[in-house]
Amino acid sequence: MVSKKKKKYSSGEGAQFMTRKAALKKLQLSLKDFRRICILKGIYPREPRNRKRAQKGAGGIKTLYHTKDIKFLLHEPIIWKLRELKVYQQKIRRARATREFGRMRKYLRDYPSINIDHIVKERYPTFVDALRDLDDCLTLCFLFSTFPSLKKVPRNQSMLCRRLTVEFMHAVIAAKALRKVFVSIKGYYYQAEFEGQTITWIVPHHFSFQPQNKDEVDFKIMSTFVEFYTMMLGFVNYKLFHSMNLVYPPQLTAGFSPDSEKDLIDEHAYVAERIAALNISLAKVAGANEVEELPEIDIFQSEDGDPQKLEEAKQEAEKVKKLKTMFKGLKFFINREVPREPLVFIIRCFGGEVSWDRNHFVGATFDESDESIAYQIVDRPSMDKQYLSRYYVQPQWVFDSINARTLLPINKYLMGAVLPPHLSPFVDKIKDQVYMPPEERALKDPDFKPLDDEPSGSDIEEASDEDAEEKNEQESEEDGETALARQYQQEIAEDSPSDDEEDGEDDLDKEKKKLAKEKKKAMAVSSGVPFKENPYQKQIEDKQAFRLREKLVRKKHRNLYKSMKAGQEKRKKEIWLLRKKRRLHDEKVKEEKKAEKRKQKMQAFEAATA
Amino acid sequence: MSVIKKKKHVSKKNKKAWRKYCDIKDVEDFLEDQRLEERIGKFETKPDSELFVVDTAGDEKPEVTDVKPLSLKQKKRALLNQTPKCFEVLLPTSKVQDPNAKRNHVNPVGTKPTALSKLTQKRRFEKGAYVKKVELVRKNKKIALAKKRKAKEIEKTFKKNLWGDELPEVKGIPSTLCDDFVSQEAQLHNVLPEKRLRPKPPPPKTVATRAAIETPHPGVSYNPSYQEHQDLLQEVVQHEEKMMKKEAHLNRVTTKMFSKVTAQDKENQWREEMSAGLPQPHNPATAPSDEETDNEYKAINPPVKNKKKDHKARRKQRERIEERERLKREKIEKKKITDIYKLRKLQSSISAKEKLQAELQAKRTAKRQFISATAVPALNAHKPPVREPDLVDPTQLSGDLRNITTNTNLLRDRFESLQRRGALAASKLMMKKKKRVKSYFKPGHKVTEQDIEKYVQKMKGKKDPKKTVIKK
Repeated sequence: MVSKKKKKYSSGEGAQFMTRKAALKKLQLSLKDFRRICILKGIYPREPRNRKRAQKGAGGIKTLYHTKDIKFLLHEPIIWKLRELKVYQQKIRRARATREFGRMRKYLRDYPSINIDHIVKERYPTFVDALRDLDDCLTLCFLFSTFPSLKKVPRNQSMLCRRLTVEFMHAVIAAKALRKVFVSIKGYYYQAEFEGQTITWIVPHHFSFQPQNKDEVDFKIMSTFVEFYTMMLGFVNYKLFHSMNLVYPPQLTAGFSPDSEKDLIDEHAYVAERIAALNISLAKVAGANEVEELPEIDIFQSEDGDPQKLEEAKQEAEKVKKLKTMFKGLKFFINREVPREPLVFIIRCFGGEVSWDRNHFVGATFDESDESIAYQIVDRPSMDKQYLSRYYVQPQWVFDSINARTLLPINKYLMGAVLPPHLSPFVDKIKDQVYMPPEERALKDPDFKPLDDEPSGSDIEEASDEDAEEKNEQESEEDGETALARQYQQEIAEDSPSDDEEDGEDDLDKEKKKLAKEKKKAMAVSSGVPFKENPYQKQIEDKQAFRLREKLVRKKHRNLYKSMKAGQEKRKKEIWLLRKKRRLHDEKVKEEKKAEKRKQKMQAFEAATA
Repeated sequence: MSVIKKKKHVSKKNKKAWRKYCDIKDVEDFLEDQRLEERIGKFETKPDSELFVVDTAGDEKPEVTDVKPLSLKQKKRALLNQTPKCFEVLLPTSKVQDPNAKRNHVNPVGTKPTALSKLTQKRRFEKGAYVKKVELVRKNKKIALAKKRKAKEIEKTFKKNLWGDELPEVKGIPSTLCDDFVSQEAQLHNVLPEKRLRPKPPPPKTVATRAAIETPHPGVSYNPSYQEHQDLLQEVVQHEEKMMKKEAHLNRVTTKMFSKVTAQDKENQWREEMSAGLPQPHNPATAPSDEETDNEYKAINPPVKNKKKDHKARRKQRERIEERERLKREKIEKKKITDIYKLRKLQSSISAKEKLQAELQAKRTAKRQFISATAVPALNAHKPPVREPDLVDPTQLSGDLRNITTNTNLLRDRFESLQRRGALAASKLMMKKKKRVKSYFKPGHKVTEQDIEKYVQKMKGKKDPKKTVIKK
């Protein structure tokens, strides 16, 4: 018997994939609906290994989907909802065409909405999964919250985005989760940490209106993405608020509720405005305790047992703890020209109190005349009226302080000063073998002390500098003397045994003495020499062990290892070279400065005498 | 003597032959019975009352009572309830059930409000019999609307702990089975196939691994350090140079491959080609001199003559070939001997070559891996745009937050990022094409030069009298 001939592409890669057209046919959906459901359910087109086979022999590049993905979509109850919507759309279209606007309005009112919460749950089975995928969601929501009503975007979407993003910012403030800020040309890069997940997002700069070019971006698709992301962000917000015992949707505390005497026309708007100001802490769930601070990291003896890593982790935790309360008890006043929202958000994230001009935006808590204000954030070259009790700093001081994780000295950030560069905190940590100029190193770790700490600026400082130099000179002289003395002593010490030999100079009884000596030696109890432990012994042994281990590297990886090592050496050398260059340059500059100063002094002296 | 019917051996090879010689009468009878049963109903299922009659009268004959026969009118009235004879044909006679269980229901006559019933209803409505009912309907409508509105609102309040314990329903598994005592397998076993959770293949590698938000280059800071900004600019320059090189290559390979010809040259070429073989006009300068020809026919390509070689020539040729062959062999033999002494050199050259090849191979694989790690996924005939480094113009940098300007479109950035990650197939946005409207004048409305002239003159004519009037 001849078995039935197997049809081509009925198994293997040909059966695994499906073109978009075939998928549309299978699901009985229009392209529009298919796109929508794919975005909502997280189904992506695939790139096959062998395109020719996957396309069943057809040429060109077609959009392919996994057959399993499409089968997965087939079971989605939303598909039926989409078909229902289609009927509704037809009815609306018909009513509009026949100019029966009453009916049209009725259809629009009763237009069924799709509930997609089960999809959120399905795509993100755990909360951490949702947090991990929040980057895109936040960026798009923040972006859409700035949009006016657009043609292809549902009317209330930008409003909803705005609401959700404000809620999320409140959650970040309450959790003190912000870690890094970077102000770029594109917008503000923020990085927060929730449940061990780092979330990075971009918030665009606040410009009044930016027209969107129609032929660059498909608004319909982006709006569908946003539709899913708003749903996801809403549930994430709810969960975050709950974990911090805050009432969701956010409410003002009783103290800030509107006065009962005045009748407000729109109480909801009143509350929403105050919440959007980000300046007031939200109401907590009644009877809930304060959220407990996370306990200190327990030290587990991991299998690697790398104490250095553990120590690093501990230090990091300590730093983060300090960072969280960096602005605690400090009062900030934001001037009119400074972007309000980002700064309020940032300052409140680290425990500071903020206010602004009462007429500028609702939600101001104290006036400019308040004497307890510690810092006023200003972005203009000068001000007419200044208070002595506070520092006038530029906004970059706030950003740089957060990235440095300490309150930086303000002298470089004072009003009208030329600012130091705003460095990115998102530098790759893996690339640690990079040359860092001493200024940057000082910014990165506060323990670092540049070798020749030369303060620059005012005359007073220069004078002190001079004093220091003189001291240095004296010290160096002293150092020279002590060194000489030490050398002398050493020489003496070396010579002494030979001196002893020279003293006992007797030619006659040489042999006898020798014999006696030998006998004595045999009998004598020599004084014990304390076992001197070589301090570097352990290091040497470690090094040897390391070399042995290096030999055990598999042949497969040997070349890679070698190249890695060579690269490390090369980079080390480069860094060393650059440091040396810098040192020489600094010394030269210093010498020149000194010479110039001396010259000036001489001139002044000559002028005085003459 | 009993006659034993001889079994006739027949062929049942074909379907036809099989049918001819196969006795299937019993089967057909059975089926016929079954069909009859279906038509008139099964014997077993019929109730006893239908099959049997309890004989209570006995053998006695019923007494004939004097009953007044029905009048004609009464007879007709009694017939009214019955189905008319003329419609009996339409009634089903078979007891076979309707295969379409959900046949469209047609309302019987009388359920639709007639003109008369409408009138009575109206009368009753005016009387006030329906006031309560109307109010109730209105109230119900209001409640339903409010409910709907509230449901829509709840969707936007997100008041549900999606990742908590209190889940609304475990997907697919019936609530009666959601018990600790029922094993997981048993729970899943009882799920309807269409409600069963389908395994979803993992997302594509590019979607899973590529970061949604790439770490920004430190040079894009609003107030970058000099070095970092220079680095960024350098990156931009390198990218731009690469693009220019690519473009130049494309230009060289396509447009520049063909030599350019001026229009005049083309015309000349065309003329020459088209007039090939045509009799040329007589030109004494180019014409061949008549003196040399002696009116003899001469082909342009004379026929080839098969000139035979003689013995000597053949021998010479053979000898030449043999000599050449011998020399070649000798050379090879010689080389064999010398190669023995060259062995080490050969080996070293081979090893050097191999080393070089291995190096090149490593380089190639590294390059391939790099490309596969960073390449944009090909999901469509269109390719997603290559990521370009952000350019921050030095003139753009003001150094303070107040005068910040931007030249990047964040939305486009996101859109392209999605495409580069493979979450979206890159596509060219199709704009709606504007209809091309051909404009023309109706013949009667055409305005020609003459018309204009006429008009101008007319105006002049009109103006002139005015002027004269003024002069007067």
